[in-house]
Amino acid sequence: MNPITPIINGLKITLSHLFKKPVTLQYPDERPNVAQRYRGLHALNVSHNKAKCVACYLCPTVCPAKCITVEAGEDANHDKYAEKYEIDMLRCIFCGYCVEACPVDAIRMTGQFELANFSREDFVFTKERLLEKK
Amino acid sequence: MVNLTIDNRQVTAPKTATIYEAAEMNGIKIPILCHDKKLKPFGACRMCLVEVEQMKGRQIPACTTPVTEGMIIHTATPDIIKARKMVLELLLLNHPIDCPVCDKGGDCDLQNLTYDYQVNGNRFTDEKFHHQIDYNNPLIERDMNRCILCGKCARICDEIVSFGALTFIDRGIETKIGCEFDGALNCEFCGSCVSVCPVGSLLARPFKFKARFWSLTKQKTVCGYCGTGCNLTLGVKDNKVLTTIYDQEQGFHKGQLCVRGRFGYQFINSEKRLTKPMLRKNGTLVAVGWDEALDFVVGKLKGGNVAALSTARLTNEEFVLFKKVMELSGSKDFDHSAGYAHSALTEGFARSFGTTASPATIPDIQKSNFLLVIKSDAYETHPVAGFEINMAVKNKGVVLNILSDKHGKLGKLPGAKTLLHVPGSEIALVNALSKVILDGKKAAGIASSVVGYSQLEQSLSDCSVEAVAATCGVSVNDIIELANDYSAAEKALIVFPVGLAYPGHNAELASAIANLAILAGKIGSEGSGVLCMSEKNNSQGAVDMGFYPSQDGKNAQQILDGCASGTVKTLFIAGENPVVSYPDRTKTAAALDKVDCLIVSELFLSETAAMADVVLPACSFAEKEGTFTAADRRVQHIKPAIRKIGLSRSDFEIFGVLISRLGGEVPVSSATVFSEIASNTSGYAGMSYAALGESGAFAPVDIKPAFVDVKAPGQTRQAGKLALLTGSSLYHCGTMSQYGEGPMHVCPEGYLEISRKDAANNKISENDLLTVTSASGSVQLKARITPRMSEGVVFTPYHFSSASVNQAWNGTEVTWVTLNK
Repeated sequence: MNPITPIINGLKITLSHLFKKPVTLQYPDERPNVAQRYRGLHALNVSHNKAKCVACYLCPTVCPAKCITVEAGEDANHDKYAEKYEIDMLRCIFCGYCVEACPVDAIRMTGQFELANFSREDFVFTKERLLEKK
Repeated sequence: MVNLTIDNRQVTAPKTATIYEAAEMNGIKIPILCHDKKLKPFGACRMCLVEVEQMKGRQIPACTTPVTEGMIIHTATPDIIKARKMVLELLLLNHPIDCPVCDKGGDCDLQNLTYDYQVNGNRFTDEKFHHQIDYNNPLIERDMNRCILCGKCARICDEIVSFGALTFIDRGIETKIGCEFDGALNCEFCGSCVSVCPVGSLLARPFKFKARFWSLTKQKTVCGYCGTGCNLTLGVKDNKVLTTIYDQEQGFHKGQLCVRGRFGYQFINSEKRLTKPMLRKNGTLVAVGWDEALDFVVGKLKGGNVAALSTARLTNEEFVLFKKVMELSGSKDFDHSAGYAHSALTEGFARSFGTTASPATIPDIQKSNFLLVIKSDAYETHPVAGFEINMAVKNKGVVLNILSDKHGKLGKLPGAKTLLHVPGSEIALVNALSKVILDGKKAAGIASSVVGYSQLEQSLSDCSVEAVAATCGVSVNDIIELANDYSAAEKALIVFPVGLAYPGHNAELASAIANLAILAGKIGSEGSGVLCMSEKNNSQGAVDMGFYPSQDGKNAQQILDGCASGTVKTLFIAGENPVVSYPDRTKTAAALDKVDCLIVSELFLSETAAMADVVLPACSFAEKEGTFTAADRRVQHIKPAIRKIGLSRSDFEIFGVLISRLGGEVPVSSATVFSEIASNTSGYAGMSYAALGESGAFAPVDIKPAFVDVKAPGQTRQAGKLALLTGSSLYHCGTMSQYGEGPMHVCPEGYLEISRKDAANNKISENDLLTVTSASGSVQLKARITPRMSEGVVFTPYHFSSASVNQAWNGTEVTWVTLNK
């Protein structure tokens, strides 16, 4: 084979891409379309102005990375609620088992994927930070 | 034994077994909700349905049907499984499916069976119940919406605890478990009902929402309160003891516990626990490092004139090391629990039986025919042994007689007879019983050959039953009847409690009782004997390890006198709180104040520790390894359930360091110390941690009976004054239970029990604050008017620092007091 032919074939492909829609995004100016079932940062669902979580401890039990800490408390109506709910994002592997295990649909995973931060402490998401934003 | 076939397997079972028990014995599992080993068959839940071929394929409950020869049983035919599924569906019809918020989740029999039988839906519909939930009780939460009406709680409360707080109330579909007139629960709070509840209807409130069952580490250990030696399972999470877990296979008591065992564990992780050594500098205790604290201690121990007082809660291994520390310090002055608390064993039994242990065991209670309980407090000091008495009387028909200065719960058992006597006259009464047996020629054949028989005959010759009856306030006929019944019984057991608050239960009483038992020949066989119920979890161990003064050593009272007079320069107190628990607070506190150097190793900054020159933070039973010897000489091995708290060290480690610094040989581990104990303590031969296992082992008691001449002390009645009795409250044990939240919820402060007549005479009403004044001082206590006291007698428990009874109580058998509002 003529040694020039593969080079020309390669250049053809390169040139053809100049006229196609680019695959990459101009992040952060352009934002990706995050799929509905994407497993990003967790959020605690809210109902009647309080977290739906009843502190049943199924998510910390099922969590393979052991990144969820729950401490239950008793509210004024003697009901169980999560006094403390923390996820250590440095340990989380985003498997979504917590969502699957939840019996009361209290936790879901959002499309939020920008989780970089400056200090280790900032990766511990407390209940306040996890509560669904209105 | 009968032969039968279960699921095509040839098995044998005892004649008295039910099908359920026969299957269980042979490893065949039948699902059930309403059964507990300790309880009688009830047949409430209908989960244990099985088919018996001889009964034409009818489905019958396995738990109530006795086995018969040649039975052919099928436990899991498709029909049975269908029936069980329907039972579950019907139970789930009214049961709220709130497993996520129910603390029983993970340990729930109904949840487990629902999962096993894959009951995913329900063919029926009905409304759930809307019973009011009892959140107000500090220890037991009752949610009757979850109840499946198995009746276990009501039955255990009746059959074993004998309290009867819970029962079925209302009728038909409205039936539920409740208290009388659907009121609040006000019982002994032993939590037995909580332990057997198969669902989340009855829950331990202190554990509410603390953790899920599956996240707990379960550590088997031995209870650290009284001398019964109950086995416990501690539920631990994140180095915290969060609860006690029920295990019906555990111990002689089959998992049955009392209020302090089940709800009194909070002292282990109390925030008041000491975490750092402290040294007194310029008058205040400041935290220092271990080296500095131990340097100071070693310096003082080397200085001579050392004495030691110990609690009876240390392990056997620690007692051995503590003794070594004292030997290396050149001291023979060491004692535990105020001396008299164990003199019944070390002096009384040593003279009468030639050994310092009780010649009977707690399981003997159920094997006996006749029980004689001295002081009704046996139930309050050792509640689980009390449950054994309940079961013996109710299930086995054991005759119960009580010799007491006040009425108690045991006296309410069917057929129980209480002989109420004047306080402080136990010895005279017991002597009178011996006298009746001697006079009636009912003494056992071998009695006359026992050493000291003729002396006893002689000394009892001037004892007149009529005179004793007159001074003790008991009728002659009652004494004669009791003596005759006792000597006529095939097997008879005498039970009496000893402890810090029972000064009258001393060497003399022990010998008097021993005389009676030897005379009637009620000793040395199963179900007979004398059981001395030592107060603390290792009181018997302290005696076995010889942690009491020998002939030339000082006892507790002499040590305190030495402190006051200056002959004792350094006093090492391990775990004891003499300021609150020893008689005569003023004298004790003055002695501790006077002593040059006070070293205290403690869990908490107790009143005594606050006076110390150096305080060493020690470990509770949940943090260390060792052995405890129960009242009936059952040696049991404990293992640490949690890591040590803060910088605290076990007494074993503290004594180990002191021994090495004083030039002794340092022990390698507690196991090696125990092998040393096994080789040189009588009865412990052949024991090792491995051999003890989970259930422990009895150290056999070898007795050489001898009669000892005991003279009853004269009566010291003081006109116009009331007799103050001290003792134990059901909810507390020693002063340690003050740091357990459970006992403090139920019984937070001292009180004075007083009869209705005395209350009326002195115009006292319930909860009046009374000043109780004796010759040695006074204390303020709240009045509690009860029918159980007789006129002229008042009672108070001794556990509380807030109003410590020893301000008015000086250690005599009976303290004579006056009451002022």
